[in-house]
Amino acid sequence: MLNLLHYPRLLIQELRVGDWLVVLAGLLCVFYLFQTLWSNEHATKVQIRLGDKIYATYSLNQQREVHVHGKLGDAVISIAQGKARFAKSPCHTQYCVHQGWLTRAGQAAICLPNQISLELLGETKPYDSLNY
Amino acid sequence: MRKGAISFLFVAILILGAFFLKSCFKEPIYHSQSYVFGTLVDISIYGETDERASLVANHVLQDFQDLHNRLHAWKPVAGNKPSGPQLSELGQLNAAFQKGNQPITISPDLAKMLIDATALSVKSNGLFNPAIGNLIGTWGFQRDEFNPVIVDDNKIKSLVKSNPCMTDIVISNNTAYSNNPMVKLDLGGYAKGYALDIAADYLRKQHVKNALINIGGNIMAIGQHHDQPWRVGIQHPRLPTAIATLDLPDGWAIGTSGDYQRYFMLNGQRYCHIIDPRSGYPAQHTQSVTVLVPPQAHSQTQAGVLSDVVSKPIFIEAPENRTKAALAFGIDNFMVIDDKSNIFVSKKMAQKLHWIDSGVKFTTLP
Repeated sequence: MLNLLHYPRLLIQELRVGDWLVVLAGLLCVFYLFQTLWSNEHATKVQIRLGDKIYATYSLNQQREVHVHGKLGDAVISIAQGKARFAKSPCHTQYCVHQGWLTRAGQAAICLPNQISLELLGETKPYDSLNY
Repeated sequence: MRKGAISFLFVAILILGAFFLKSCFKEPIYHSQSYVFGTLVDISIYGETDERASLVANHVLQDFQDLHNRLHAWKPVAGNKPSGPQLSELGQLNAAFQKGNQPITISPDLAKMLIDATALSVKSNGLFNPAIGNLIGTWGFQRDEFNPVIVDDNKIKSLVKSNPCMTDIVISNNTAYSNNPMVKLDLGGYAKGYALDIAADYLRKQHVKNALINIGGNIMAIGQHHDQPWRVGIQHPRLPTAIATLDLPDGWAIGTSGDYQRYFMLNGQRYCHIIDPRSGYPAQHTQSVTVLVPPQAHSQTQAGVLSDVVSKPIFIEAPENRTKAALAFGIDNFMVIDDKSNIFVSKKMAQKLHWIDSGVKFTTLP
């Protein structure tokens, strides 16, 4: 085996179809991980703001529900493996809940009546502020 | 063995040193978020100490709150008088308009705003019309929360027929009256832009060189961030994500009017807060309009106000007249997304946008 490493040509000749498949699978795996983990848009954390204060920052790499007491009442924020959303809100319009899952860094959901906002954070911000 | 330990120590010190240096050169960026103006106000300041940045940011927020209290179109504001909540300055003016054409005293800056808003309203052929407060109220958009409203078509017709116009208002020597008692001011499409201009003016006077101010989605840039211009994302009207980003250079402002922030649904139809003064009904052929405004000459209407105002006539105007509506204000950077999610971008704007999804199809307007 050690010998094979010293003779690259021999190495290529000795590899069977299955070996090549393993190599291919490995390359694909690396490519996939590169795409998902190293892209700028990958979000790693969710920042919850209450009023003008940062309430908490949680890793997205978990499954949990966070209860936040806003101006109107209790809101429930769900975090689930890389994404976050307003699950429940005491507000009348429910715009925040209808926003659904946030998945990319820079995405935000704001509940104006209850004064709670979510923002996904990543390695780099795709923009400094959002025009809406 | 000993040699190995020494080199291990050396590497460890280098790594610790690198972390230490990195923490010393932490980006000098200050960020604050508050709920003022009935919306979210977001201020970023770059290149100042945290203490100074928070000082000037709080001053800006205080100015916004004062302006909000004075210009509130429908809510009595809590005053410090024993008589309890009082009408805002704008509310008192509206009450006076309703009573008849007796002039009342208004503050110099409100007089200035009304003169400016009147000129802009004329330029927009009346499509930007802050005098239609009665219509906006009838549609239920002068509330904190919007319930579906079934309107009385006859009431809408009679309100349109009463034809409230900015030009009905007569202003002289800081007094104002209206020739039409149906004029009811709602500066919802003007005040945020005005606040942006006030804030930018204040920050520049305080020698703050780099800041980004976002009032409920309308954004104004001062200077830049690092050695790069400030970058803003434009909200997709139907998805919880940005549709595109662009660089906002020093002194530029960006504003969007959309049907997705203030609206209600009734029988599967969307009714948004942007009302066509000609029909009295919400405009339903547009999802969003974004305008990008360069710095303006000192004597002119400033970029903040334009970023707030100009998106409205483009939103309401028939598709074939959108470019004309923008050019009436000298605006050649704009984007329209219509009710079928078709995207139209002016030629100049197309060069500035970076789409989030590379496959976006859009039509370039000449």
